Amino acid sequence: MKESLSLVQRLSAHPDSRCWFVSWSPNGTLLASCGGDKAIRIWGKEGESWVCKSVLQDGHQRTVRKVAWSPCGNYLASASFDATTCIWKKKSDEFESLTVLEGHENEVKCVAWAPSGNLLATCSRDKSVWVWEVDEEDEYECVTVVNSHTQDVKHVVWHPTQELLASASYDNNICVYKEEDDDWECRATLTGHTSTVWSLSFDATGQKLASCSDDRTVKIWRECPAESGQGDVSWKCVCTLSGYHSRTVYDVAWCHLTGALATACGDDAVRVFKEDETADPEQPVFSLAAHMAKAHSQDVNCVAWNPKEAGLLASCSDDGDIAIWRFQEED
Amino acid sequence: MAGGSGKEDLFDNILMADEKFRGEGFREGYERGTRRGFQNGRRHGASHGAKLSTEVSFYYGFATTWNCLLHNNTDPKSRKRVKALETLLDLIQNCPLDDPQSTKLQDDMEKLRSKFRQICSMLNVPTDFRDYVKTAEGTSF
Repeated sequence: MKESLSLVQRLSAHPDSRCWFVSWSPNGTLLASCGGDKAIRIWGKEGESWVCKSVLQDGHQRTVRKVAWSPCGNYLASASFDATTCIWKKKSDEFESLTVLEGHENEVKCVAWAPSGNLLATCSRDKSVWVWEVDEEDEYECVTVVNSHTQDVKHVVWHPTQELLASASYDNNICVYKEEDDDWECRATLTGHTSTVWSLSFDATGQKLASCSDDRTVKIWRECPAESGQGDVSWKCVCTLSGYHSRTVYDVAWCHLTGALATACGDDAVRVFKEDETADPEQPVFSLAAHMAKAHSQDVNCVAWNPKEAGLLASCSDDGDIAIWRFQEED
Repeated sequence: MAGGSGKEDLFDNILMADEKFRGEGFREGYERGTRRGFQNGRRHGASHGAKLSTEVSFYYGFATTWNCLLHNNTDPKSRKRVKALETLLDLIQNCPLDDPQSTKLQDDMEKLRSKFRQICSMLNVPTDFRDYVKTAEGTSF
């Protein structure tokens, strides 16, 4: 059984700039991209090809670093280096700016919606992670500010089913947070990477977490009962993928439909790994299933699996392009 | 060589003078340095302590004032804000300010600062109290 990546379409998404991040809407029909040109673009399928449906401009004064869809698909959040997070509301085919979340001292690096849609997390170079609560009137209120990292926080991601939040930082660590008496607290610190942790991704069940780093490795962490008991969370590194990437690994994405793991790397390549299903879950084994060497002409910043169509993968790069790939078995 | 030892002493005094004075000088200098170090340390500690105390006292005044302003409001939004303010006041109360060597102090200060920033966001108050509040510095990419 041999798999490969084939190019479906290449889009000049943010010409003369960088494309930092792409995100699929929950129903898989729209793709949002953001970049150094301060714009957010929404892509949709017309016939067989992907086209730009709308451009969200004037929301931010600086680079838009990440975008995130709410679980209902009606809202889009964008995190920018201008220290703000914008919330956009979808009205038929248009998006309007609903509110601007201020509070971070400087560059907001990431934004993520909790599975319930009632909570939003942001993180920043100011070393803090903020959790916001959304009420019925579309009002956002900060419920906590946590300072558990000693450096720039690069990424935040929610557990797929529980209200559990994980963050990755320039301090080489990963923190896992849970709510405790109205406040969010860091309940576990995952150490092991020897350089900046750039991104995180949970698998479909949320039992495993993948992290990728400037140390050129991808680590797989597994939740395990803490030795101290008392309902504390504890995560153990059960697998390290090293020797595959020749530069920084900027992003990792776990397909919730197939279990395939994709990576975005500073060596311009996109790789897909598959887990050996016969291996002991305590000691998972991953093998490289596909390697697209010159996926982009510059650093690949992000990879994202379509949540509804198995094997459809989007990547984006410093070259300003988005590439859409199909990962499948070769005939 | 009857007077040999006397002669040796005489020469010893001359030959060892350098070392002897060096030793005395070192001791004197060390003592003076120690005194100076203590003075500098005391001054640094006093100014650092005053800064920290200014910061905490500022939070205390801020929280007390807002608590008074919002205390009689019964709407859910105000209740939430009052609750956060009370948490801040509790944190200040339990901060080991009279024990500068407490290992908890640094952590508690971080918690205080985080809570303050959250409250500013809830109250829509800009956090531009640079004279009182410590902020993150430096550049990144």
